[in-house]
Amino acid sequence: MKIAAGYVFSFWFEAVFLATVIVMITRARKGMKIPEIYKVAGLDAMDEAIGRCTEMGRPVHFAPGIGDVQNAQTLAAMSILSYVAKQCAKYDTDLIDTNRNVIVYNMSEAIVKQAYIEAGKPDAFKPENVRWISNDQFAYATGVTGIMYREKPAANLLLGAFWAESLIFAEVGAAAGAIQIAGTANTAQIPFFVAACDYCLIGEELYAASAYLSREPVLLGSLVAQDWGKMGGVVLIVLGTLLVSVGSPFLKDLLAK
Amino acid sequence: MKKEVPLAICFIVALIYIVSNYFTGVEFLATMKDLLDKWYLSVDAIVVAIGMVNLAQIHGRRVANKREGWLFSLWLMLCMFGMFFVSIFWFKGTTHVGWNFMYKMIISPMNATVYSTLVFYIGSAAYRSFRIRSMEAGILLVVAFIMMLGRVPLGAMLLGGNQAFATAADWLLRVPNSAGMRGIQIGAALGGIATALRIMLGIERGYLGGTGE
Repeated sequence: MKIAAGYVFSFWFEAVFLATVIVMITRARKGMKIPEIYKVAGLDAMDEAIGRCTEMGRPVHFAPGIGDVQNAQTLAAMSILSYVAKQCAKYDTDLIDTNRNVIVYNMSEAIVKQAYIEAGKPDAFKPENVRWISNDQFAYATGVTGIMYREKPAANLLLGAFWAESLIFAEVGAAAGAIQIAGTANTAQIPFFVAACDYCLIGEELYAASAYLSREPVLLGSLVAQDWGKMGGVVLIVLGTLLVSVGSPFLKDLLAK
Repeated sequence: MKKEVPLAICFIVALIYIVSNYFTGVEFLATMKDLLDKWYLSVDAIVVAIGMVNLAQIHGRRVANKREGWLFSLWLMLCMFGMFFVSIFWFKGTTHVGWNFMYKMIISPMNATVYSTLVFYIGSAAYRSFRIRSMEAGILLVVAFIMMLGRVPLGAMLLGGNQAFATAADWLLRVPNSAGMRGIQIGAALGGIATALRIMLGIERGYLGGTGE
């Protein structure tokens, strides 16, 4: 058994990163001090958006993107959905969750149902509000557009893996007068969300959302490790730039191994 | 047991995937990964039926209660079940001329139509974003102006054949845009790995219907 060609550096980099995550989680478990996490306006606005819906008597719309369950962004979105569903259950606000992928739809239904049970309001759960629209990207986009125009949610939460439908969702949300919080790690879609939404979670902020919202020290510990990993990336970039500038291909060759 | 069993399955399957992606020379792991991929596809196909039941429940109720727009709901159910039954009992596969007609002449053009509406959404989003209300919006407007003129023949025509806009647009894409995008990608990749690890170790359980420990 040996490491596949071209994956050697990547393997060791990830191994060190994973070790850092485990160390940080262990420190957090032991109750040791964790550095402060910077404020993410989009996540701070989550409760404000749900509160707005409660005051206006209008539903919250949540879309977990069109990625499947193998996509880390979708799993991050599921954790946020759990938080949003609990808040909606707490304040008796309707939550409309629309899905493209059927497996994600089944997960969403279980998560929302569990959130209502945990909030002590199992009877308030409305199965018809967790919806599978279509497996087809643009049929799904059309379905969500219709829901936005007909049911007029006061908050539009677009969190997960989005592609070409991102701007359609964000624009119909704006037309419906909803406060919009979007987040994706798909770099091509981030400009659309930044332009059309009130708040935007950029890249890694989406993955940090569940830790940020739950304030669980153990989850927050892994965020610190993420920042350390980024610092490692910056060091490699600077080092690589310097080495290439002096004509040394050492780091370039090392990365390609 | 309701949580422990899924967490154990998640850990073992994740480990198989990680090891089989990084290491070569272990036939068992490669076979297991292929098998898991096939299982995933099977599950994905089976759960479509659950999705169809959900749609039928929502729209069936709307039709039964004659709620606003119930005719659209009826039409949706006719199309969904129509395509389903006709494909299974009549077309019996995706090579049938009837299936091809339905797909190429109805579904594909409708997809293209929705996709093309993006151009109008881009226009409305651009209008709202480019209003100079802040320094950032002002920079966005200037950059967008250069990008647009750099990408269409009008830019060069306005400058009497000079490619200054095209050169500036290329520079914007290659230098500041690439730098920003790569920064986001590095952060997102690390975030993805950390999320995967949290899920694998059972620290993040939001997807099971409850966050945290």
